[in-house]
Amino acid sequence: MKNFESHGPMRPRDPATGEQLSPRQTPGYYPGYNTLGQKAYWDKTTRDVVVHRVEHPPELKFFDEQQAIFWETVFDHVIPQTDRLPERRILILPPLDKRLHEGRTEGYRFEDMPHDRDVYNKFGIEAIDAEARTRFGQPFLRITFREQDLVLRAIHDGCPKGGKEIWEQMNVHRFWQLVTKDAIDAYYAHPWAWDEIGFGGPAYPRAYFRLERGEPEPWEVEEQRYEWNAPMDVVSEEVGDASHHHTEAEQQRHKFVRES
Amino acid sequence: MKTPIGGEFDAPHDDRHDLGPMQHIDVPMKRFRESEEVDYLIVGVGSAGGVLLQRLARAGFNVVGLEAGPFWNTERDWVSDEAGSQKLYWEDPRITGGSDPLALGANNCGKGVGGGSVHWAAFAPRLHPSDFEIYTHDGVGVDWPISYEQILPYYEQLELEMPVAGPAYYPWGHPHGYAYGPHPTGGVGNALVKGCSAMGIPVSIGGPVAILSGSRGDRPHCIYRGFCIQGCKVGAKASTLVTHVPDALRKGAEIRPESMAARIELGKDGRVTGVHYFDKNRQLHFQRAKAVIVSGYAIETPRLLLNSACPGHENGLANSSGVVGRYLMAQAGNVVLGRFDQLVRMYKAPPAHVLTEEFYETNPKNDFARGFAIQTVAPLPIAFGKQMVAAKKAWGWGLRREMMDYNHWATFGVLGEILPWADNRVTLADQKDVFGLPIAHVSFNLHDNDKELIKTGKEKTMEVMRAAGATEVVQEARYAHLVGACRMGDDPRTSVVDKFGRTHDVPNLFVMDGSVMPTQGSANPGLTIQALAARTADYLISQRDAIFTSNQRDMTEPPLHRELAPPDTWGHGVPRIA
Repeated sequence: MKNFESHGPMRPRDPATGEQLSPRQTPGYYPGYNTLGQKAYWDKTTRDVVVHRVEHPPELKFFDEQQAIFWETVFDHVIPQTDRLPERRILILPPLDKRLHEGRTEGYRFEDMPHDRDVYNKFGIEAIDAEARTRFGQPFLRITFREQDLVLRAIHDGCPKGGKEIWEQMNVHRFWQLVTKDAIDAYYAHPWAWDEIGFGGPAYPRAYFRLERGEPEPWEVEEQRYEWNAPMDVVSEEVGDASHHHTEAEQQRHKFVRES
Repeated sequence: MKTPIGGEFDAPHDDRHDLGPMQHIDVPMKRFRESEEVDYLIVGVGSAGGVLLQRLARAGFNVVGLEAGPFWNTERDWVSDEAGSQKLYWEDPRITGGSDPLALGANNCGKGVGGGSVHWAAFAPRLHPSDFEIYTHDGVGVDWPISYEQILPYYEQLELEMPVAGPAYYPWGHPHGYAYGPHPTGGVGNALVKGCSAMGIPVSIGGPVAILSGSRGDRPHCIYRGFCIQGCKVGAKASTLVTHVPDALRKGAEIRPESMAARIELGKDGRVTGVHYFDKNRQLHFQRAKAVIVSGYAIETPRLLLNSACPGHENGLANSSGVVGRYLMAQAGNVVLGRFDQLVRMYKAPPAHVLTEEFYETNPKNDFARGFAIQTVAPLPIAFGKQMVAAKKAWGWGLRREMMDYNHWATFGVLGEILPWADNRVTLADQKDVFGLPIAHVSFNLHDNDKELIKTGKEKTMEVMRAAGATEVVQEARYAHLVGACRMGDDPRTSVVDKFGRTHDVPNLFVMDGSVMPTQGSANPGLTIQALAARTADYLISQRDAIFTSNQRDMTEPPLHRELAPPDTWGHGVPRIA
């Protein structure tokens, strides 16, 4: 997470004042909500699995040191966490590393994609570096945080300028789908992320009772919204709408056409 | 209160095989010798295999089920956790392609005893009578070799065995009612009821879903915790693991878990003699059998037949038609997401509990044949995040912001009929799995009728979401379920199996699972798969030893053997309103 320090704090801002918001233990609109606080009510198997995830992130075995720094930097953009206290940031790399080390996949590979392991230790790094060089004349880790954001946005958009020979072997849309999938798999598996979004978490054997109107269980909390803007100089806040595509293949191929 | 009275909940029993909190396996499992020629060897103990195993054991046959995955102890193995449930899905390598590649794995493929019925959402609608003759009515697809009337007794029977909860009056297809009461609605269900009602669309509330609304026997009622597709630890959701396997074992069936079928052996007389399989240590074994039933679902079943090619069957066992692997179908499963100003909290209640089949049938005003259903779905956070990536192309801070609004979103699923096409198929790839077996390559391509249907279904569902009061409506395109690829039919030149699942080419080799379905309608396939399996079981039982000793093909319809269902699951009656 070196980039945060070397390029300023880059935290979300208060829209009224433009001031950066203080990092929080739990960002989101459910202050004080703590799913782990309910763990005594979970069945033991679930409790063990979730607590182990929090307390014992696996050691890196698949990525070497350089690859680990590279992908950590990428994931700092895909799932940015500067709104969290440093000790409350959720590690993305360890569960991904474990998956790759064990050779586990989703149970399928798109025919226009290399194997996941080859994506992460070769093609993905080469493709992102190629885009960084084409746009900014330097490899990905040497450019500024904003430049990195722009490089990743080009790939997100499905419109990379560099790395033509790499993209012939790896579908740009499926690549982006894979990277975001792994980021989401790690982040939203973590109970701290459940606190952030107000997800109730495990409920066996106790049950949920208040099914209607979105009302909280006695141990959940009411939503308290606040306004926030993304940090200055990031480009990932923008969302689009790919809903006009009827089929999955067309939706995956959705392109954002931009000026730069 | 931070802890329950009496302290945190206990660990599961060490010395007991639990299937839910109350049910456990109460007899030692029989173990057949490999040299012993068993009556029926079933490959795959999933939705179909579980029912077949139970029926055949109860009828007194010696029966073994080979299952590639584990034999779950639900209290010890399952969790209320998305990331911790990956082991329920078929994660072995496969390649997916074509113009419209299908996501596999968690999307549609289970592994372990119970198979797909462990991770289905448990919507259990019937097919409509029209589904059995869409070629006759619309000139598309193909007719089934059986009629709705022939499967009807099995629908009624399986609705009691699972059982299916739903309304007392269900208006579509062949109107009927459900014997077990509907579920209360959650936030997503309320939204679908509201949207449909605003548009004058009839809607089914609280089912049909194979989840207990009240406790029955040693299975508790639903607790609305929302982790249906992560495996129901509660035991309220029907899977063959909890509905049929316990009775099968009590009646002397054997399940051999972590046993990966490699090849079916064909004897010189043109009859199969057993199955070669790998155990968990990758040791190869051969189990002899008088007859073999392949129940590996729409990818592994054709893969096994293709991997069993041998002299006389060079293109794959039982593949003289060339149809093995062809006519694979998935349903359109576009997810429409609506953001509401008020909270929804869609993680509560089963994802499956409200639907409408008002658009199921061919509408002459459309420029396509057949139709679609609209159903509740309710992704948990990880699944929802991926939908935000697909629908809104969210990433970075945009993704974090969308996710913070998770509790404001409701989701409806289109379930649309995609027609059977010969070019949608399973073949063998050059790549091998850990056992050295060629893996499956799945090729999927949408055709014009499919695309028009998806467009209309998606747009209608978005309209319903807006009518429900959503202020923002977006959509993720995807597919649901898998059937076909070893279809049944009367003509051996255009189908793999006959109407009872017996392969046209090999008299003692059967296929019985979703892969035999010639078309799929817009109904979730789980109930139909189990109903077909129960019907085939009745056929095999009525044939007694003839399957083992003769190549004769008796096509007489069997009687319904209700008495062979698990005890206490029948005799309560189904209200029929027709």
